Amino acid sequence: MQYLKPAFRKAAFYCHSLTLNPTSVVLFPFRFRLAPPVSRFSSSMAVPPSSLDKQFDAFRVQLEESGTLRDRIRSVVSEIESSTRLIYATLLLVHHSRPTPDVLEKAKSQINVLKEQYKQLAEVVGGCPGQYYRYHGDWRSETQSVVSMLAFMHWLETGSLLEHKEAEEKLGLNSSDFGLDVEDYLIGVCFMSNELPRYVVNQVTAGDYDCPRKVLKFLTDLHAAFRMLNLRNDFLRKKFDGMKYDLRKVEEVYYDVKIRGLTPNGESIGDQGIQGQS
Amino acid sequence: MLHSFSSLQRFSVFMASKPQRFHQIAGTNFQSSTKRVRTMATAIEPAMKDSFSRYAEYLNDLNDKRDRVVKASRDVTMNSKKVIFQVHRMSKYNKVEVLEKAEKDLVAVTDQYMSRLVKELQGTDFWKLRRAYSPGIQEYVEAATFCGFCKNGTLLKLDEINKTLLPLSDPSLQPLQINILDYLLGVADLTGELMRLAIGMISDGELEFAEKICTFARDIYRELTLVVPHMDDSSDMKTKMDIMLQSVMKIENACFSVHVRGSEYIPLLGSNDTSSFLVGVPDIEI
Repeated sequence: MQYLKPAFRKAAFYCHSLTLNPTSVVLFPFRFRLAPPVSRFSSSMAVPPSSLDKQFDAFRVQLEESGTLRDRIRSVVSEIESSTRLIYATLLLVHHSRPTPDVLEKAKSQINVLKEQYKQLAEVVGGCPGQYYRYHGDWRSETQSVVSMLAFMHWLETGSLLEHKEAEEKLGLNSSDFGLDVEDYLIGVCFMSNELPRYVVNQVTAGDYDCPRKVLKFLTDLHAAFRMLNLRNDFLRKKFDGMKYDLRKVEEVYYDVKIRGLTPNGESIGDQGIQGQS
Repeated sequence: MLHSFSSLQRFSVFMASKPQRFHQIAGTNFQSSTKRVRTMATAIEPAMKDSFSRYAEYLNDLNDKRDRVVKASRDVTMNSKKVIFQVHRMSKYNKVEVLEKAEKDLVAVTDQYMSRLVKELQGTDFWKLRRAYSPGIQEYVEAATFCGFCKNGTLLKLDEINKTLLPLSDPSLQPLQINILDYLLGVADLTGELMRLAIGMISDGELEFAEKICTFARDIYRELTLVVPHMDDSSDMKTKMDIMLQSVMKIENACFSVHVRGSEYIPLLGSNDTSSFLVGVPDIEI
């Protein structure tokens, strides 16, 4: 068999040097998008078997449908994205001054729009049960941003962490039909922690010297809670790794405020001996 | 002494060491805790701790399942490849036995390894974990369609394969059904094997079979051109289509040379037949 190889190569070379029907050989092979070549080489131009046609026709129809579905999903998601941007712009005001109730109120009212849009999304996807994760990539990052903002707002209001279930409810989702993916929720929480160092710096500047203590306690707890998780080396892990830098920055702010004795009296965390220090 | 203690603590804060070093006195009355020592901060706020232990459980279960599915999928891949190699051992004289063994092996893959995969998936998360088992399924489709073509001369349909998978699943659970995307990816890989088979058949002298393979491969390529652009993330499929066209052309060129050369196609080297195109080509030591 070995000695046939040079013969074959020679034949192949021979073939390419013959410019038989150049258009069908040269043009088409390199651009898949164009129509396939009409084969001139076949001696048996058989009519394509119809059962093969049937199967692939059915495939084409199904795939076109899923393509249309994806387009609808994408249009709802882009609306979600713009609502999210509005809420974000509203929330940015909390960095500008001490907290005012109307900022949060405004943001909360905008969440209702978001809720409606998620309901729409659930309806669009609801047509294909079980395929949530087929299209999940199309709303994943937007949902993570949404969760991060909801968690931030919740913390501003209550000082505690928004739980997965609560986040789901706020968006009007439920885990049996169209739910909030747990990893999306966790990544959203990591994004929220990224906001905290900036917030605490601005609050201290605005005169709230107790803020660092509260933020530090919260972020320390959050970081410790995250350490309970066993993570893979994926995006979530990367975001979690970023959290320690946020924690460090908040610690530094707390320290700065503390050593200058700016913390309100009797409120420092467990440093006996520092109490009352000037 | 208290003074030095506090400066020590400030030092530890300054070093931004692990949060455990940092006191946490959540919501306690500070005045009463004069002797609060450094507690290792397991004093996470209880509600947070609770939720996160639930999230930890969820992630552990999900990742463990994913790992098991990957392992099962790898077994499917390996053993499907073996089936493909078995089919390649076909030659003029042993075609029937080789194919029979290949079919038996394929059934074994289905019964042993695919059923393992079905078991690990437990009827859920088919789309969520698709990336974990897709390569195994593609290889399986490749092997099954390869055997199917060699036996019947036709393309094994997706419905047909899925029917054979139904009995593997527990009737109370959703059965594992190969989806369109994995099937198409598997069929795309099939053309590569077809190319190898065609070239081998030509060398063997089985010219008719090689022509059948040529027609078949062309048909597949043609059918796929209309379907591929609509696939979810069709970028890897597009590369496969380019490779597929190369394979089809290789088969076509081989068939062409057979046609043009006719019966003289398998002369010995160094032949003195002046019409042989191998005149003048030197002998090659094997």
